[in-house]
Amino acid sequence: MISVTPKAVIDSPNKIDLANLSPEQVALEIKNLNLYYGEKQALQNISMAIPKGQVTAFIGPSGCGKSTLLRCINRMNDLVDICKITGEINLHGENIYGRHVDVAELRRAVGMVFQRPNPFPKSIYENVVYGLRIKGENNRRVLDEAVEQALKSAALWNEVKDRLHDSALGLSGGQQQRLVIARAIAIQPEVLLLDEPTSALDPISTLTIEELINDLKQQFTVVIVTHNMQQAARVSDQTAFMYMGDLIEYSDTNTLFTTPSKKKTEDYITGRYG
Amino acid sequence: MALAFKSTGTRQLKNSLAKWLITLGGISVLFTLVLIFMYLLYVIKPVFDSATVEQTSQLSLTSSTKTLSVGVDELKEVAYQINELGDIRFYRLTDKNGHKIGSQLFSQQLVSNGGEIKHVVDSGINYKLIVDSNNNNIVIAPKFQSVYTADSREIIARIDYPLGEEPLELDENNASFSKIAFAMDSEKAVFVAKTNDGRLIKTTLLSEDSFDYDPAFDTIFQEIEFYSKKVDEILITPDLSLAFVQSGNTISVFELDDEDNVTLKTEIKPKTTITSMALLSGSSSILIGDNKGQISQWFEVAGEGGRDFQKIRSFNNSTGEVVAKIYTEQFRKSFYGVTATGVVDVFYTTSEAQLWNGKLVSSQPDAFAVSPRSDAIIVVNNNDLKIFSVHNEHPEVTWSALWNEVWYEGYAEPDYIWQSTSGTDDFEAKFSLVPISFGTIKAAFYAMLFAVPIALTAAIYTAYFMTPALRKKVKPTIELMEALPTVILGFLAGLWLAPLIESYLPAIFLMVIFLPLSTLIAAFAWYKLPKELKIKIPETLAPVILIPVILVSVYFAFALSPVLELHMFGGDVRQYITNELGINFDQRNALVVGIAMGFAVIPTIFTMAEDAIFSVPRHLTSGSLALGATQWQTLIKVVLLTASPGIFSALMMGLGRAVGETMIVLMATGNTPILDWSIFQGMRTLAANIAVEMPESEVGSSHYRILFLAAFVLFVFTFVVNTLAEFIRQRLRDKYSSL
Repeated sequence: MISVTPKAVIDSPNKIDLANLSPEQVALEIKNLNLYYGEKQALQNISMAIPKGQVTAFIGPSGCGKSTLLRCINRMNDLVDICKITGEINLHGENIYGRHVDVAELRRAVGMVFQRPNPFPKSIYENVVYGLRIKGENNRRVLDEAVEQALKSAALWNEVKDRLHDSALGLSGGQQQRLVIARAIAIQPEVLLLDEPTSALDPISTLTIEELINDLKQQFTVVIVTHNMQQAARVSDQTAFMYMGDLIEYSDTNTLFTTPSKKKTEDYITGRYG
Repeated sequence: MALAFKSTGTRQLKNSLAKWLITLGGISVLFTLVLIFMYLLYVIKPVFDSATVEQTSQLSLTSSTKTLSVGVDELKEVAYQINELGDIRFYRLTDKNGHKIGSQLFSQQLVSNGGEIKHVVDSGINYKLIVDSNNNNIVIAPKFQSVYTADSREIIARIDYPLGEEPLELDENNASFSKIAFAMDSEKAVFVAKTNDGRLIKTTLLSEDSFDYDPAFDTIFQEIEFYSKKVDEILITPDLSLAFVQSGNTISVFELDDEDNVTLKTEIKPKTTITSMALLSGSSSILIGDNKGQISQWFEVAGEGGRDFQKIRSFNNSTGEVVAKIYTEQFRKSFYGVTATGVVDVFYTTSEAQLWNGKLVSSQPDAFAVSPRSDAIIVVNNNDLKIFSVHNEHPEVTWSALWNEVWYEGYAEPDYIWQSTSGTDDFEAKFSLVPISFGTIKAAFYAMLFAVPIALTAAIYTAYFMTPALRKKVKPTIELMEALPTVILGFLAGLWLAPLIESYLPAIFLMVIFLPLSTLIAAFAWYKLPKELKIKIPETLAPVILIPVILVSVYFAFALSPVLELHMFGGDVRQYITNELGINFDQRNALVVGIAMGFAVIPTIFTMAEDAIFSVPRHLTSGSLALGATQWQTLIKVVLLTASPGIFSALMMGLGRAVGETMIVLMATGNTPILDWSIFQGMRTLAANIAVEMPESEVGSSHYRILFLAAFVLFVFTFVVNTLAEFIRQRLRDKYSSL
């Protein structure tokens, strides 16, 4: 067995039973989701429920479909022309792939942070208020408050409060990634998707982000994709292991890393492939 | 074994060779640029050189009496003097062919019976009227002829009598004259004189054929009604149309054209004490000198009460002394103001420039003449003849005359005019760079007005919305447009588009409305189309649906054009615009140029802007979309912002192309150098102007050098625009580029 001590083992105040979630506990429900890139099927009949106010990690080897699944949740895959999706993802009972869903509204409810920090070439302030501005919010006081709130939540406020109107491109990689998180949470989403948020960062920045994720789950449901198993073990409450487009195993992190029920999972977490 | 950090011989050689070659290439590009710059400046520089007057030779005259008139041949090799005793003597000014400087080569007695010369009156350079104390009047023409012997050239002088050698009868009553003026051309000679018995007379000699071949003539005597007993000075214009008679401080202007009746045209009353007057070359202007050292230029200006003489500008001589005499050049608008103390001031009228001043002789010269080529003056004082060479090649060009309004003779007011050549000799070239610089900007403006919206929207659509498969076809196609020779565009614009626009003008403006409207309607219809139908058409082909839509709306615009013309514009838009709106309409106008040159500029802007937009990183657009922005919001707030340095340089490249473009404007503008923003008027650009006029420009002339100056202005303009653009682009890039 690997020598990772899952965080969830040490302190799991809100331990939940994934198999028997009550409807109030579910943030997202994925039902029979299939995704095709042209002829190739990238996700095969995925069904899972993501609990509210928790951190759920998707792990798996490269190309297993974990990022694709994540991108289904805020319909970022719509931008890919050849992509076709069947099945449902329900966000408070409504299928986000339904006919009358406004994708922009959906994405406001489901924020996303990408692998590489992608601040816009604007000031720090303008980056944070971007989502509010496109929603039509122009009240200076509201924006100021949102900036402070978001930057504090993203643990960046103290570092940038004196240079809010400097270019965001002047920040370090870790700061940029926290800024991007602040930008995502400034519009108060329900779910926050993190797509390998630390893969382009140094270890210290990674640590800061991981601590941040732990704080964020107080407010948001967090779904994180990572190829770093230790990270998944450190930050997540639930972990889903995916392989070749299949959801192999999905359970609380502690269980998955200590007593995996599937052979493939065990092989993966013990480092036989990946 | 020792580690060898030295690279192997050939590799190092290649490396340093490449380094040197690249450095050499870079330096030679810079060097070439500097060289072009230097050459342009080298050609332009003489235009702004100030005039110089230097004494070249001096000789003592052999006669001891007072010199009345003096002259020189074109090559400044022989000078002559006419003295009081009636002698004309020719002197050599060079020591060519073994002659001595100052040696006399020819002389002739002009006055018989021991008389003395009372008046010598010049008409042009060629003719002189000699009036002697016996009241005999003859007209002479000193002539110089080149004779070529084995290996040298000799100048031979002689005297011609264009009106015959016999004394002329100029007054019916045979009175003597206190003042006389004279002017002649090959068909007519006019004399205006004040007789000592108090009459002002005009005598006209009409040639039977031409004075050049036959001195026979008819004489017409006229008397001019004139109130004043006193006449100080009389001048006749070289075109024989006007006589200026100065009496005290009033100058009366008489019209001489009518052989039956001499009428007083007007009176000029400058509010000064007139001390001298002279006619400026071209016979339109009169120069009036006063006792305070001021010389003013007057010419006729069309005003409310008809044409009238107006004071146009004045010049102050350097000393403030009385202007004793004014001498003018034969072909240019330069003049020399001479004071009683021998100080000479050289001015050029239209450029309002004082070219030179200095003391040439110790007192007012006995005789003064400007050489036929205006490159020398000869001054006689106390039997000393001095030749001064004058270097004054480009007096008409000054920085202010090039860029400010100039009041030219015959114009109602100061204006910016470019008019470099004309059919007549006494034409004054008008070099204002303002209209052609303006034309350059106007052409570029209309081209950009047409090109920028189309090129930018096309770039945005292609880079951001178009499917990759279609983009792969569209982009190279538009880029191919850039390879189209502009001469073909210009040719099409001038010969096909301009007449088409002229006859279907309403269609052009209808298209401005129809094309966007039909595109929007088509887009809306596409949006509302049932999904089942939409799926059948591949997304790549969707924009292609617009082609028939555009064709149909173009057809409708053209079909509606005659109908609209008939019902709204009285059947002819051109006439409607000219008569009802009072706007001049040229067939080759800014609209044609805007479209044709816009067409040439579109690929430049499109290619660069498309590249800039396409290279905006995907993760930025995803980031924006993930925050709930629509495609449109993402485009406006992130993509265009990030691509702004590239878009900016695309616009600047387009502008640079439009400013420097020659063939299209040359062929499609009509090349009229006018200052008018009107879309229905043509223009002349710096580049087209150079192309049009350089072949007909005399090497080394003011015109030639000013064309180089125009090139220089163009060069500087593009240089400044490009530098500025690069500077701004760098700033934008620092601010907005994300990677």
